[in-house]
Amino acid sequence: MVTAEPAGIERADKLLLPGVGAFDTAMTRIKQQGLLDLLNKKAMVEKVPILGVCLGMQLLTDSSEEGSLPGLGWIPARTLAFKGRLDTGRFKVPHMGWNIVEKHTESPLTAGFGSFEEVRFYFVHSYFVKCDDDRHSILKTTYGFHFDSGVQNGNIFGAQFHPEKSHTFGMRLFRNFARL
Amino acid sequence: MLRTRVIPCLLLNDESLVKTVKFDAYTYIGDPVNTVRIFNELEVDELVFLDITASRQSRRPNFTILEDIANECFMPLAYGGGVCDIEDVGRIFGIGFEKVVINSHAVEAPDFIRRVADKFGSQSVIGSIDARKNLFGRYEVFTHGGTRKVSRNPLEWAQELERLGAGELLLTSMDQDGTWAGFDIKLTASVTSKVQIPVIANGGAGTVRHIGDVVRKGGASAVAVGSMVVFQGKDLGVLVNFPGKKELEDAL
Amino acid sequence: MIDDLKEQYATGTSAGEARLAAIVERIKKDGKGRKYDCVVGVSGGTDSSYMLYKAVEWGLRPLAAHYDNTWNSAIATENIKKVLKRLKVDLFTYVVDNKEIDDIFRSFFLADAPEIDGPTDLALAEVLYRAASQHGVKYILEGHSFMTEGVAPLANIYFDGKYIRSVHAMFGRLPMKTYPLMDFAAFMKWIVFKRIRKVRPFWYMAYRKEDARAFLEKDCDWMYYSGHHLENRMTAFNHSYYLPKKFGIDLRNLSLSASVRSGQMSRQEALQRYSEPPHLEDDLLEYFKKRLGLGDEEFERVMRRPPKSYRDYPTYKSLFEKLRPFFYVMAKMDLVPMSFYIKYTSKTGV
Repeated sequence: MVTAEPAGIERADKLLLPGVGAFDTAMTRIKQQGLLDLLNKKAMVEKVPILGVCLGMQLLTDSSEEGSLPGLGWIPARTLAFKGRLDTGRFKVPHMGWNIVEKHTESPLTAGFGSFEEVRFYFVHSYFVKCDDDRHSILKTTYGFHFDSGVQNGNIFGAQFHPEKSHTFGMRLFRNFARL
Repeated sequence: MLRTRVIPCLLLNDESLVKTVKFDAYTYIGDPVNTVRIFNELEVDELVFLDITASRQSRRPNFTILEDIANECFMPLAYGGGVCDIEDVGRIFGIGFEKVVINSHAVEAPDFIRRVADKFGSQSVIGSIDARKNLFGRYEVFTHGGTRKVSRNPLEWAQELERLGAGELLLTSMDQDGTWAGFDIKLTASVTSKVQIPVIANGGAGTVRHIGDVVRKGGASAVAVGSMVVFQGKDLGVLVNFPGKKELEDAL
Repeated sequence: MIDDLKEQYATGTSAGEARLAAIVERIKKDGKGRKYDCVVGVSGGTDSSYMLYKAVEWGLRPLAAHYDNTWNSAIATENIKKVLKRLKVDLFTYVVDNKEIDDIFRSFFLADAPEIDGPTDLALAEVLYRAASQHGVKYILEGHSFMTEGVAPLANIYFDGKYIRSVHAMFGRLPMKTYPLMDFAAFMKWIVFKRIRKVRPFWYMAYRKEDARAFLEKDCDWMYYSGHHLENRMTAFNHSYYLPKKFGIDLRNLSLSASVRSGQMSRQEALQRYSEPPHLEDDLLEYFKKRLGLGDEEFERVMRRPPKSYRDYPTYKSLFEKLRPFFYVMAKMDLVPMSFYIKYTSKTGV
């Protein structure tokens, strides 16, 4: 069920936080629709499984260099810019295309992923996430350097890539999330 | 590491799939949706769909076909051809496409790209440049499916598109299109050295070697392939295909 | 009929193989000085792929020809690609306009006729002739084997150009422009004027489908699809759903009994395979309905209607019967397959 209605979110036993666009725009929209308290309740009190995808994962962090507003803060982490940290002659921004993910900390979200050299997802992003606690990083990807491409803090999950655009890999990930 | 994207670029003419040579001489390839289905089964990286008729005749996109196409794919899709209305763009994304390719309208109304990028994000906009050499060997930019010359230089135009908010560039050599002779490396290199956003080289791919060359020597972040994936070989029969994983890995 | 054919062609005996060798020599001789000396139709299936391999092994220089009805699956195109690459053979393709062919398929569906895939088969035959003619080639090699496939009784499946034209005229909506129709005139052109011969090597030599498949999987990294003819979605629909459901025709019957008869499979195994329902790809029906523009209700309604046959529509059948002696001569000269003569020109059918 796709909804932005508080009633639907209230009833849900799992939440998916998608995201395309800009950090501040998204956070403002959440506040404008009066969803902040509800989301916090679902996440921190009811502890339903929540999966943030792409910008959605970045929203889970404390803050982002893309904007000035605070994030949801469900995962102690910061969202940083690739620009300035990469040699843009060699590494174009946004990070766009298929890249490999490597398992870091074990997680039910990445269950069943066999030999990890083969697992690739489609990435499109100009900002990346850095977890304060490395144990929250469940997947890492290399683009000039290692960054956290998958995160988990209890019932809060995040995927920097686009599972819905990643063939069978993506489907497997969603299936794992659905089975939680 | 990030794998260089190899992207089949499929051309729509009315409701059929065609392939061109130097933007002319159409060959009928087949049913668009079935072809896309095959590419989906082959698990290609990404797909670009360009509606030539919409572009040349300034028509609106064919939403029915786009819906059928999007339903078949589990990888990123881009659509181009007659994209000039921001409502249409929203509808295209709603159907399931990730990116739009904007060519002619960027010249007619430069702030259109800015508006799309602001509303949907730069990563959803591919600025497309079709270029051809004139008699003096200098490159010129064309719009409307290669039918109208505009007084722009590809390098400057590329930088302008970047400034206006395009997330990537699709750079097509009209001279090399459909020739199997390799990409225009010089053109590609001159553009990639001037912009910071990814550039997709297009036009001329005949072998995986060409793909490797334009990436290494031309600085392309991704390549688009046309004839190579719809024909068995140069001047040979229609056969939808895609290079094997290992073949690509070796070449890149 | 199978036993007659077997005797006539000395299948699998050294006499049969000697005859085949002689034919191959003649093909080579007639093809000297040209780029190709024979044409082999390819579909991505076992028989045609193996046929191509054999042709190359015998020292022939084939041109592969493919008729793309726009319903191919990736398995078909991949297998064609692999085999042609491995054998270094050029491909000639004829692609029909997708909207046109869907209109023709739809016509046959609405006509309650069993030969919905007839247009594909006839188009392939026409395309093979065109490819041959374009390159000055006099021989077409076909991978048909009556030992592994049997010969369908006439009542089941019949197709000719007039039949297709009639059905399309009655139920079609789009003009037939790109569809390669083989009408009688074209047929005569190919066999009488151009004198292009059809050779079926597997009628002379021992041919086991399993061996062919094993070879292709090993040598060409080929992919096998379960069932018969599932490299094309229309054929899949036809074999796995349309024919069994509406007409009670299970074509597996043919190939299974043929395999049993020739000793390639035990009767028990054949019965067991037959009792399993035909394999159906996941959204094949949806795909079929979508492409042909049929609503669910309309689809069900047509499926439930009583079946018709070629006898309900204008065809060349009576013409073929009248020309029976002529076609006998043509068959003896390998200008038409002997099975064509037996099936199409006899009044009683088989």
